[in-house]
Amino acid sequence: MNSAQFEIQLIASLVAIACAIPGTFLVLRKMAMISDAISHSILPGIVVGFFITQDLNSPWLILLAAFTGVITVALVERIQKTGLVKEDTAIGLVFPALFSIGVIMIAKNANDVHLDVDAVLLGELAFAPFDRLTVAGTDIGPKSLWVIGIILMITISLLIAFFKELKISTFDPGLSASLGFSPLIMHYGLMTVSSVTTVGAFDAVGAILVVALMIAPAASAYLLTTDLKKMLGLAVFFGVFSAITGYWVAHWLDASIAGSITTMLGVLFLFVYLLAPSKGLIAVMYRDKQQRIEVSLLTFLLHLKNHTEERERHVNHLNEHINWQKVKSETVLDLALKNNMIIINNKIVSLTEKGNAFTSQAIDYIITNEDAQIEDMKDDFFLFRG
Amino acid sequence: MDTHTDEHALNKGNLAVKVDDLTVAYNYKPVLWDIDLEIPEGVLMAIVGPNGAGKSTLIKAILGILKPIAGSVSIYGKPYHKQRSLVAYVPQKGSVDWDFPTTALDVVMMGTYGSLGWIKRPGVNEKKAALEALEKVGMLAFKSRQISQLSGGQQQRIFLARALVQEASIYFMDEPFQGVDATTEIAIINILKELRKAGKTVVVVHHDLQTVPEYFDWVTFLNVKKIATGPVMDIYNDDNLTKTYGINYKVSVQK
Amino acid sequence: MNLQEYFSLVFSDYTLRTITLGTAILGAVTGMLGSFAVLRKQSLLGDAISHAALPGIALAFLITGAKDSNTLLIGALVSGLLGTFWIRGIINKTHLKSDTALGLILSLFFGFGMLLLTFIQKQPNANQAGLDKYLFGQAATLVESDVWLMAIITGICVVVMFLFWKEFKLLLFDADYTKTLGFNTKFIDILITTFIVLAIVLGLQTVGVVLMSAMLLAPAAAARQWTNNLSTMVVLAAVFGAFSGVFGTAISASQDNLSTGPVIVLVASVFVIFSFIFSPSRGLLFRQIRFISNRRDLELQKTLSFMYHIAETHDDISHPHTIKILNNFQGFTRKTLQKLVDKNYVTIDGTMWYLTEEGFETAANLYNQNIKKHE
Repeated sequence: MNSAQFEIQLIASLVAIACAIPGTFLVLRKMAMISDAISHSILPGIVVGFFITQDLNSPWLILLAAFTGVITVALVERIQKTGLVKEDTAIGLVFPALFSIGVIMIAKNANDVHLDVDAVLLGELAFAPFDRLTVAGTDIGPKSLWVIGIILMITISLLIAFFKELKISTFDPGLSASLGFSPLIMHYGLMTVSSVTTVGAFDAVGAILVVALMIAPAASAYLLTTDLKKMLGLAVFFGVFSAITGYWVAHWLDASIAGSITTMLGVLFLFVYLLAPSKGLIAVMYRDKQQRIEVSLLTFLLHLKNHTEERERHVNHLNEHINWQKVKSETVLDLALKNNMIIINNKIVSLTEKGNAFTSQAIDYIITNEDAQIEDMKDDFFLFRG
Repeated sequence: MDTHTDEHALNKGNLAVKVDDLTVAYNYKPVLWDIDLEIPEGVLMAIVGPNGAGKSTLIKAILGILKPIAGSVSIYGKPYHKQRSLVAYVPQKGSVDWDFPTTALDVVMMGTYGSLGWIKRPGVNEKKAALEALEKVGMLAFKSRQISQLSGGQQQRIFLARALVQEASIYFMDEPFQGVDATTEIAIINILKELRKAGKTVVVVHHDLQTVPEYFDWVTFLNVKKIATGPVMDIYNDDNLTKTYGINYKVSVQK
Repeated sequence: MNLQEYFSLVFSDYTLRTITLGTAILGAVTGMLGSFAVLRKQSLLGDAISHAALPGIALAFLITGAKDSNTLLIGALVSGLLGTFWIRGIINKTHLKSDTALGLILSLFFGFGMLLLTFIQKQPNANQAGLDKYLFGQAATLVESDVWLMAIITGICVVVMFLFWKEFKLLLFDADYTKTLGFNTKFIDILITTFIVLAIVLGLQTVGVVLMSAMLLAPAAAARQWTNNLSTMVVLAAVFGAFSGVFGTAISASQDNLSTGPVIVLVASVFVIFSFIFSPSRGLLFRQIRFISNRRDLELQKTLSFMYHIAETHDDISHPHTIKILNNFQGFTRKTLQKLVDKNYVTIDGTMWYLTEEGFETAANLYNQNIKKHE
């Protein structure tokens, strides 16, 4: 691994971390599509900034473009407020228009602006090590490394300083306002950080990868934990992991690094989506099946408790009355027997004492809206699960 | 437990709706549990219960909008999907987008779509029926109004008119008095009483306990399980209210 | 070529006619179907679908090696539908919210597509497949068979929409009610969604993956402002879409270096802005004017009721008072007084004023109404 390769991976990793932090909050605040809007609409800001500064890594350009991002958010909210169109439509109207303006500005000034539309979408990570920062004649590393490094430092310090406020305003904006932290300031603060990060990362990895790096690691982490700090940590880890593996896949295929990092993010998400221990697809489907049988069992037990008449409790009448297919009735009957909830005498089903106690307690929990307790109760009562 | 109701039902003649061992769950948590319910023909019935008791869920399960995990429903002795033409539904007002580009008359016309079936368009007869229904709810003057320009009460009346157009035998209404003005409330209850007089069955999810004895003749207490069902005169009492709402409930019951 | 030349050539020049016809048809069909997407609150689904179509195009090329657009469109259709399907799966089966699901599929599919595209470009036999055009669209690459395909699909779409109009409207407005009437809502839903995906895929070559969603939303959002009738809205959206297509093509053809996609999107955005501001019933301009005129009416009423209270103190309502008294009242201006005179509520005699019979009655009515409101 030569030093250029090392630098590329370092830049990609820093970008991944810088994106994962605001991304986690965007996902939690149900604003993921805002990052898509920002990543597109900063383009005109970048072009104008480039006319002025002639340097893609200039801090002024970054601030100007980031400002366009914040304007986009404000514009979207302004349009939503008019009530002329529904929520999402405002986002969908604003960013394509701004992005189009940017593309046309580039096209009309192709001779002056060394910006390529492909690069806008994909970035030029492979060339990042060639644009170097020199201070007093000494080479101190690639420019984009410094840019993203500084942005990351700022993001991390803001995160540490305002962690509590961010957490409260994300999960309970009402409480946050009553405690004196304005949710609006938190909101626009987050939007500013997202915009600055997007602009800083844009040059290296392009618009679409920024979106992927913000959303995919956070979404994957979301499926694995409910703890905010762990979620942040996992998102950062996933981002860096994809950045490095993505680089090597691109190296091997001789294809776009950004595209390859995104693909790795996709593979990672697919993996988590299928296999996450409690929120993954397979776990959910397994639990669905278990729950379906167990809730049927509850239904069946309650039916027995409600009806003293023998005709309602005859084995053969069960399908007919509860309207289940034969297989399902048999499975449920079987589970109830295995757990000693019922006894069958002369084809008449009755609750055992244990079954009776279980059912009464379950009813209480459901009526008092404490149905979460039922899961604990199942652990106490059940010998076998569905 | 149900013998009392059964007697009444028999006295009243036909059963309009019969619900057997109905259980409905959201995310595998039961919201309705083993409901047995018989609604005799020609009653004006309120379903009452606390928030989250499953009142709307019961109506939606009867109408086949939600799939129950157990139990069955029959309308005049046959499954619901064979008796659709006998049933009309007034959803909660908040369930639709009132900024939708359509007029009051257009919404009422939707009531005729069920009998028209696929592809066939409404014609002169359907329009006539819709105009009559609008007149009945006192909204004829507003027929060309865009629906967002109507007040909450007027929107509710439009929904009621849409159900009237269906010329059903059984009407299910989800909180028709929610957020309406006093005039509309009186107008709606008069129409409901008229329907009952014409031998129709009306089932209403209702919130305002004070007005139950005044508006309805039949009532069902619901809180996940069915607590009681029967004539208001017989069962609308503090005992059942307390059982339903959990706390000691005192309501002045007019006999 | 400038715009004038373009319009004089458009009827005689074969290529220009083909391209213009293509963008016009495309604008019309996306406008129509976009109305449904907007009303179903699925505005951003189009964005996700169009991005999700990219890997399909690249894979179709890798597998078949074919450059003709129909083969590539089938690839796009398959991967677009796959993306839509997966978005629904994520929302239904996990706790992730819909915006996250949209953003995920959008960026991940697109990134994978770009990986494939750059991979293709490095292949020796790639003969520069021209797949780049799918990013921002090149209307210039449209040929007659493409336009025929668009026309046929648009035709099918119009027929289906005509047949199932009643059902579409019902489902869009009130899905639960639709179910109780006995219609198969799943079927209607799949029909609408499939056509939306089809329209998006159809537009990729002309407008491109990145901006396609705007073609779906902008004409519909503009049309919504002018009418309160669904059929008028759909027709208007089609017209706006078609015009955006034609004007966009004209402008981009008359300039160098301009992709069609961004120009069409900007033209459509102009329609939106114009509609937001100038629509008579919903537009911001008239809303503002109504707001101001309401405020004026209110001021007028306040002044009148102030005068009423003064006049009340005398048995004779036409007893004159000096105008000076009114100066104590906030909101009083010469203009409001003049208006009251014009309305024949007040008579002015030199520096004195008195209420007319009519003015007194109007004021008394206003007063009673106010009291009622406060009760």
